Amino acid sequence: MPDTLPFPPRMGSNAGQPLSRRDGPLKVTGAATFAADNHPEGMLYAVPATAAIARGRVTGMNVAAARAHPGVVEVYTPANRPPLMHDPDEKLGLFGMRMEALQNDSVRYAGQPIAFVVAETLEAATEGAALLAPEYAAEPARVTAETGERYTPERVGFGGPLSVGAGDIEAGLAAAAHRLETRFETPDQYHNAMEPHALVAQWDGDKLTLDTPNQAIVMACGLFAAYFGIPAENIHLRSPFLGGGFGSKAVPTGAQILTILAARELGRPVKLALTRQQMFGPVGHRARTWQTLRMGLDGAGKLTALHHHSTGATSSFDDFIEPAAAASRTLYASPAILTTHDGIRLDTGTPGAMRAPGEASGSAALEVAIDEAAEVCGMNPLAFRLANYAEVEPITGKPYSSKALRECYEAGAKAFGWASRPLAPRQMRDEAGMLTGWGMGTAVFHCPMFPASAEAVIRADGTAVIRTSGADMGQGAWTALAQIGAAALGLDPDQVEFESGHSHLPDAGVAGGSGHTASAGQALHNAGEDAVARLAELASTDPASPLYGTGNAGVLARRGRLYARDDESRSESYAEILARAGKPQVEGTGKGARDPASAETYALQAHGAVFAEVKVDPELGQMRVSRMIGAFAAGRIINPKLARSQYLGGMIWGLSFALHEEAIHDRRTGRIVNADFAGYHVPVNADVPEMEAIMIHEDDPHVNVLGVKGVGEIGITGSVGAVANAIWHATGFRPHRFPVRIEDVLPSLS
Amino acid sequence: MYANEYLTGEAELAEYVRPRSLEEALAIAGRGAKPLAGCTDLFPATDRPALGGALLDLTGVEGLSGITRTDRGWRIGAVTRWAEVAGAALPPAFDGLRAAAREVGAIQIQNAGTVGGNLCNASPAADGVPPLLTLDARVELASAAGRREMALAEFVTGPRRTALAEGEILTAVIVPEPAGRGAFLKLGARSSLVISIVMAAGRIDVAGGRVAEAAFSVGACSPVAVRLPALEAALAGLPVAEAADRVEAGLVVPALSALSDLRAEAGYRAEASVVLIRRLVAGLTGGAA
Repeated sequence: MPDTLPFPPRMGSNAGQPLSRRDGPLKVTGAATFAADNHPEGMLYAVPATAAIARGRVTGMNVAAARAHPGVVEVYTPANRPPLMHDPDEKLGLFGMRMEALQNDSVRYAGQPIAFVVAETLEAATEGAALLAPEYAAEPARVTAETGERYTPERVGFGGPLSVGAGDIEAGLAAAAHRLETRFETPDQYHNAMEPHALVAQWDGDKLTLDTPNQAIVMACGLFAAYFGIPAENIHLRSPFLGGGFGSKAVPTGAQILTILAARELGRPVKLALTRQQMFGPVGHRARTWQTLRMGLDGAGKLTALHHHSTGATSSFDDFIEPAAAASRTLYASPAILTTHDGIRLDTGTPGAMRAPGEASGSAALEVAIDEAAEVCGMNPLAFRLANYAEVEPITGKPYSSKALRECYEAGAKAFGWASRPLAPRQMRDEAGMLTGWGMGTAVFHCPMFPASAEAVIRADGTAVIRTSGADMGQGAWTALAQIGAAALGLDPDQVEFESGHSHLPDAGVAGGSGHTASAGQALHNAGEDAVARLAELASTDPASPLYGTGNAGVLARRGRLYARDDESRSESYAEILARAGKPQVEGTGKGARDPASAETYALQAHGAVFAEVKVDPELGQMRVSRMIGAFAAGRIINPKLARSQYLGGMIWGLSFALHEEAIHDRRTGRIVNADFAGYHVPVNADVPEMEAIMIHEDDPHVNVLGVKGVGEIGITGSVGAVANAIWHATGFRPHRFPVRIEDVLPSLS
Repeated sequence: MYANEYLTGEAELAEYVRPRSLEEALAIAGRGAKPLAGCTDLFPATDRPALGGALLDLTGVEGLSGITRTDRGWRIGAVTRWAEVAGAALPPAFDGLRAAAREVGAIQIQNAGTVGGNLCNASPAADGVPPLLTLDARVELASAAGRREMALAEFVTGPRRTALAEGEILTAVIVPEPAGRGAFLKLGARSSLVISIVMAAGRIDVAGGRVAEAAFSVGACSPVAVRLPALEAALAGLPVAEAADRVEAGLVVPALSALSDLRAEAGYRAEASVVLIRRLVAGLTGGAA
């Protein structure tokens, strides 16, 4: 059978196959162990007591009552919290955040941990925390734009520049035939992964085992270790399965540090599992933005200037400013582009990366503004976008490593039926009398890579094991990464054992920035090729092998055999090669990272086009998305089934951003009034309509050796704008704040 | 601990009791135990790890569950689950109640939550209240001191407040043989699993092409769900073809005292109520609004 395979295909026989998730059966049968499922013997339960005010001090707590409660083992407050080796108020590296680990009695946001109760049972710890009944000296909460402190941050996102641009904005505006200034507000959103943050800590001397869901397994060990003064390799962090992360499960948070501390102090394993309500505050969120877009347009509908300014909210004590304006840097051509940021400090937890940080909020504003510009020019929104199509990256002038956005527009528009869309709003009704509108948005996301490494071992029986500390958050890393490793090894995925999901493996980098498949995948690819090369070395130097004399580069690996590249009739199985060489195995290693030369030469972006149909009840203003189609070009697709799922998930996030999600602060207390799933709305199945994700072919020789751009986040971008623009097309009302509320639309209907 | 030991008054009250007979239940309630059924409101409202205090589980009490037809009309036992209401073979007048039953949370909630719990919890957004108001429902209350009955409209006295006396239990909802057909509409920010912005229930009995009887109610709008007597009077006697057009804000809004909260503003609630009522009338009289 292997002899009949056509070759050499670039990625091997299994790449591009829509394999089902390898972890699927474990999850649907309940056999998968999530962090909080680990119950080592003698384990204690930890529950944080959280602040009910947003700013001030804790002046008293009934520690005696908590301690006296049966089952309570220890109550930690700032008065008795044992020392840490790293100050929680000092940042740690690029990704580390300041945190609350009971360093003092101050309260900086509602929901902040202010005490930590450890008990024999979860019930006792919960009751102990309730018995603390804290008293406060509260100061007025600053949770609105008016009360927050405006400031100029040094950086946005993770170390990004505050301002990027090229050309003369004011000159571009002055020369324009049409000028447009438009403002947007986006809300606080909370990640709310299905699996809340959890951690089980066990010490053995100065060795520490952590069961905790984590998106950056090896990096996180370094961060955890710093707080306890131990080498990172003393920590064994196990994270085989995550119930979602979305950016909130990469860096340690205060309650996790306290759990580890308690385990050390008490000499017993300790478990922490946050409640849904406790997820609103101390584990990051996507913060509010206030954005302004200024645009100039010439008579032909081309941009003469594009200035995108975003004010992002952050906490009073740390900085994470959503790099929202960055969305305008790379999408539409304009002789003058300027993207700028500033910040507002509020009494909230510190925000952080949440699925498509920057692009999600920024694209929401940009895509609505672009639609407004098209309206001003009397143009179809698709024609307008094509008129402003960037052939090279605006600002830098770099060529794109690949860009099939035009094909995305075309395929998406065709599948959607866009051509029959009336130009003016409020022209369509369905048979039930619902106002019907069609909108679109362009999707864009960058393609970062993180340094990653991997090992591949071909064993005596011809099977293999590959190793890297990958993080499967539900996106399918267990499957897609194994496919890449298997392809490089010339084996079926079934013949390859994949060791992943813990820290005593080569560093797979961060499962974030949509870069996990590219980064860890490239490391696995290189490791697999390295192992094959070692095998080829054995065969090609062995006179008894049919491959003798081919050289280690003169072979191809397919279905567990090496073939002479120029003569298919010469081949030998891995098992035969190893047996004759008397070796139990051959080992290969590989690394993955962005090639700096390629990043210097090319603009690296994934693109897409999203089309949405919205129906609006003309009397009630109730808005329902009835159809969504996205077409995406993100380089090579390793597994179309998983990629489709990522795209659809992203589009649903976009729908949710447009119509549902918003954390609302009580202006008096600063508390979030809807900190649960009854009040914090995400779409239910009945809200998610007919949806389709079309994959557009893109062969990218520059982005990385695999040609993979990443699919994790791009689905959100473009989708928010598509829904908002469809609302305009249905009603004539132009949304400028998200989520769009019924009350916003209503005046346009009467 | 057997529940019947409480009847002697000697046993100490345990944390949790699930008696079989109403007599036992009333004795336990009389000693201050908190009644519970599906716990679908009680658990989320409790920030402690357990409900705490002495608890009286009514779900095992004989005669408190199920829907029966009696000589006084339909009797819905207090611990009848919403799923049972949704699937029950009931006259068309109950169509609104059955539709509301399908909107009480998710299927899991409908399998656990009870009619009596919905009423006693007295949320302004309780899905069961508006349709039951349009059915002229009465509630049957019992305590160790005896039984009494009152109109549902009098039973719910405010947000989270009812006319239940100390030690008293709601045992059943009584619906006198209702005429006509009922309907229910719910307006929420998403398609399902949502606390209502507004909900409206209606029942119309048509005779000889005219509205013989009309009953309408709006919930989630005011502190307590309300009937709309002015509207009902205006609709009575109208030819069915004219009924929907007769619905106007002046017949609906004054009865509401609409509230503003994080789900919606009062003005929108008032407007939406009128729209929902008009759609109900249109649907119940065979026309389209």
